[in-house]
Amino acid sequence: MNNVKIKSKNLNVYYGEKQALFDVNLDLNEKEVTALIGPSGCGKSTFIRCINRMNDVIDICKVSGNIEIDGVEINDKNLDVVSLRERVGMVFQKPNPFPKSIYDNISYGPKIHGKGETKSELDEIVENSLKKAALWEEVKDRLDEPGTGLSGGQQQRLCIARAISVNPEVILMDEPCSALDPIATAKIEELIDELKKTYTIVIVTHSMAQAVRVSQKTGFFHLGKLIEVGKTEKIFKNPDNKMTQDYITGRFG
Amino acid sequence: MNFVLIFLITIFSLSLFFYGRSKTKSISIEKNIKLNALPKFYGYYLVLWCSIPSLVFLLIWTLFEPVIIKSIIIETAANQGAIFNDKNEANLIYEKIKAIYAGTYFGDIDIILKESALSYAKFINLFTNSKIVLIFGIVIASVIYSLKKIKNNNKARDDVEVILKGLLFASSLIAILTTLGIIFSLLFESIKFFSVINIFDYLFGTNWSPQRAFVSDASAITAAEYDELKDAFGFIPLIAGTSFIAFIAMLVAVPIGLFSGIYMAEYASVKIRRISKPIIEILAGIPTVVYGFFAALTVGPFFRQIGENLGLTVSSESALAAGLIMGIMIIPYVSSLSDDVINSVPQSLRDGSYAVGATKSETIKKVVIPAALPGIIGSVLLAVSRAIGETMIVVMAAGLAANLTINPLESTTTITTQIVMILVGDQEFDSPKTQSAFALGLTLFIATLVLNYIAQRAVKKYREKYD
Repeated sequence: MNNVKIKSKNLNVYYGEKQALFDVNLDLNEKEVTALIGPSGCGKSTFIRCINRMNDVIDICKVSGNIEIDGVEINDKNLDVVSLRERVGMVFQKPNPFPKSIYDNISYGPKIHGKGETKSELDEIVENSLKKAALWEEVKDRLDEPGTGLSGGQQQRLCIARAISVNPEVILMDEPCSALDPIATAKIEELIDELKKTYTIVIVTHSMAQAVRVSQKTGFFHLGKLIEVGKTEKIFKNPDNKMTQDYITGRFG
Repeated sequence: MNFVLIFLITIFSLSLFFYGRSKTKSISIEKNIKLNALPKFYGYYLVLWCSIPSLVFLLIWTLFEPVIIKSIIIETAANQGAIFNDKNEANLIYEKIKAIYAGTYFGDIDIILKESALSYAKFINLFTNSKIVLIFGIVIASVIYSLKKIKNNNKARDDVEVILKGLLFASSLIAILTTLGIIFSLLFESIKFFSVINIFDYLFGTNWSPQRAFVSDASAITAAEYDELKDAFGFIPLIAGTSFIAFIAMLVAVPIGLFSGIYMAEYASVKIRRISKPIIEILAGIPTVVYGFFAALTVGPFFRQIGENLGLTVSSESALAAGLIMGIMIIPYVSSLSDDVINSVPQSLRDGSYAVGATKSETIKKVVIPAALPGIIGSVLLAVSRAIGETMIVVMAAGLAANLTINPLESTTTITTQIVMILVGDQEFDSPKTQSAFALGLTLFIATLVLNYIAQRAVKKYREKYD
């Protein structure tokens, strides 16, 4: 069992009057893939958006409780959100490359954080990021073409490369394959397997099969509450909770 | 007379609606058949058939009646011995005849005029009577035709659809034809102008002073006269003045408009946005003449005062004052359009940028604005074409003399101002001076057309990318 990287304690989230998360206590291990499953609207995405404080973008969203990364509280008004997001990258449901060249898509983050001062350093970051995202071979000859011209699966790997480019510790993935075909999905899953050697990964998914394939730990959310969490094998073979059992066998959700 | 006819046709066709509706209802019950459309469509069908042909006929008749009567009357007057040398004299006699008929002519009435006035009265009567008869004929014929149709249970819903399509098509045709008409009238008058003034002398001349252009006989201009003339119609000072003032206006409008658009789209809370956006848009609703006297009476003298204090000579009608006020007028165009395009940049792009740790202003500068750039350029180009076509402010505040200058404190003039100056007051329509207004209008029209085209292409290209 790896060390605990992220720890949430009594996490509550409200969108205006509506409470989206209720007292979530969840530990996420370092250099491991944690899958979050559950029916739509159960709070999985809300939970991971707390880890890089993306909920700040939504005006009416309020977060209470604690989240620690490496033992440091991040749900703190005085925390530098920019450097938090440098450490915690995110990949979204729909590929969202910037309408810029492939190169500029990757170099965007490093430039903002002052990494890669010279052109050659920047080139190296771009190449490494694309290699880690298993996209280098496909795009190395057309780095100046627009990122929006790639296929859906390539765009999503470009977004993963963009997240990697600032060298984060954690990568959050919010249903990264839901807009992709099975072949592109398989490539991303392969990639996740590779990435977990370096990064702590949290993936939200609707596909039970995907959770089984990629994750070591699984958390099941329902109506804003964390119902059950444990080793993926155990959750899917022998869950403690009746509701988890019902969900993974497809009786609701 | 026409109003009475239109009123009668309208009343009659509306009453046909109720007739058609109940008639088809009773037919369907009597013969126990299923109607091909709801009864009200048979009502519409009758209304359209009764009103459209007769109203269209009335319109065409009203357009052509005076022309035909006039040619007949002038011909009969000539036959009776009236003498006129050209079209103008003929027109004069015709106007006299009309005035006699109306009882408003107080000059001497000779026998020819009297006879002509009598025959004018005769023709007016004849035409009016035949108009009434023909219209009644048309109404009756089309009502009989359409009644026969509905009795045969036609597909009235589809037929109404076809007629309405035709009506809509006719409306857009009118708009298109009007545009074409304006373009061609500009074109023909300009051709007349360019047949006198060489187009290159116009386009590249550096001196504009049409008031100098006196021509004794426009059809025979001597070489010496032409030398004088070609120097009076140089376009360069006007386009320079126009672009210069538009440039000053854009210096004001683009930054302020763009920044307020960014603020509205990215920073303002819903509450602030709801209040301030309409307020900014009010700026666009202020009549330009109000801006004009604000520029001429307040801003211009204010600048002159400041200039005097600084020891500068500032004309009270300056390019700076006109450009500044014009810029303020244009702010809402830029801000509202760029607000729209910035708002339509997908949130997912912003999220992507935040997720790698960019701040809000970095995200706006490096992701949102570049993504919205084509749309922003489009909105700026639309604003430019608004600026070069703007008239009232420059007429009042920019000055009338065509100085070729780049000093914003001096007075300059614009294309629109000169068109106004040329066309106010009495004009001879065959002098190059008057015709030059059409050439200016045509040039201005082409310039704004090109700008609008480019702007719309830019906006469209942007839309394709994100929709």
